Amino acid sequence: MDFSFTPEQTAMRKTIVEFARRELNPGLEERYRLGVFPHDLWEKCAQMRLLALPFPEEYGGDGFDFLTTVAVYHALGYACKDSGLVHALTTQIICGIQIWLFGNEAQKATFLPELASGEAIYAQAITEPGSGSDAFAMRTTATHQEGGYVLNGSKTMITNAPVANRVLVFAVTDAAKKSFGGISCFLVQAGSAGFSAGKPMEKMGLRTLANGELFFEACFIPNSGLIGREGQGAMMFSEAMEWERTLIPACLLGELERILEEAVKYARERHAFGQPIGEFQAVSHKIARMKLNAELGALCLYSAAALKNRRKRAALETSVAKLFISESLKQAALDAVQLRGGYGYMTEYEVERELRDSIAATLYSGTSEMQLNILAKLAGL
Amino acid sequence: MNTREIIRDFITTEMLHQPLETPLRDDAPLVESGIIDSMGVMTLLSFLENTFSIQVSGEDLMPENFSSIETIATLVERYIR
Repeated sequence: MDFSFTPEQTAMRKTIVEFARRELNPGLEERYRLGVFPHDLWEKCAQMRLLALPFPEEYGGDGFDFLTTVAVYHALGYACKDSGLVHALTTQIICGIQIWLFGNEAQKATFLPELASGEAIYAQAITEPGSGSDAFAMRTTATHQEGGYVLNGSKTMITNAPVANRVLVFAVTDAAKKSFGGISCFLVQAGSAGFSAGKPMEKMGLRTLANGELFFEACFIPNSGLIGREGQGAMMFSEAMEWERTLIPACLLGELERILEEAVKYARERHAFGQPIGEFQAVSHKIARMKLNAELGALCLYSAAALKNRRKRAALETSVAKLFISESLKQAALDAVQLRGGYGYMTEYEVERELRDSIAATLYSGTSEMQLNILAKLAGL
Repeated sequence: MNTREIIRDFITTEMLHQPLETPLRDDAPLVESGIIDSMGVMTLLSFLENTFSIQVSGEDLMPENFSSIETIATLVERYIR
């Protein structure tokens, strides 16, 4: 397989790298300290058409294939140090893919243009206080009522929730059918009666990303708010995870490559005991491991992306990519701190922030343990 | 093997991982019995799409289409036609 970028993809990646360094990185330290979602940068990303890439032009998108979208987000992850913002953007894309794949024509025509333009911010609500990895043990219910459904329950740690205009909410519509067939997906609009969002939750990392709670108290959703068909929620979720576990690792791999690049630079410039520290195997082997993982991560990523680009199933490949790249990133960030010694622990040198951000990567979109469970099952257990 | 036999063979060997005393019937409930769940269905879909060179689209990704060998075969044959 040839995973080299086309000239167009190469040009787009270069443009995004320059854009991110010029527009997205300045001021990050202060934003991160304050823990605020950067609405202004969201708009700049939207103007760069980062939210429109994979969607058809008839729905306000730019009509690029998924492989190109992955290549561009790979570049974004590399150049943009604001990992919270990058994660918010990927969440928007994944919400859009679900509407595109499962929504009816009216929903696609109504919601995709505002999503692709960034005019509306989207969130996807699955996790609940009592159900994290066991997502389908959710308790939020959607009960039939004339003309629609009534939502009751709550969600937590939802990405973009405090700033979202629209939320894809997964809820139980038929408890007797258990998870497979008993869960459905609804589009809830901010301002709907009975719907409210909590304040952003404080986090150890990804501090510019807004995560929070959502509350549904007798929140009426008309039939037109049902995405896909009733009972299709679990399958939508499984489908969405394959796309998410390709797009997110693209960004994470970019981060890993940046950490590697900066580690090499530091190891060449920093001297100890009369020579560059990169001459010591204790340092060079850490960097070699980063390089190894970056190379293998790229193979995992583009193998998964090539399958999704052809609309093929890729449960195995996407779990491998998510698990391998997120764990590699966390290890690289930890090593990047270690090889800088005390400086690595100082906030001024940024790597401690990258370490805190990287831990989240092994938790969201299915923890590393859940990815191993999936792989065990696919291996025949 | 015909479509039903191919599907039965895959479910028996790859999803149940054990030989059965009597073969799975065409109408045996796969979802209710827990043989197929939200994860398993993606594995099955991957097999079906590769084996029969089809691509099952969004609106057909419904649990009832995977509730038995019979319904799965009906779905596959509709795409093949």
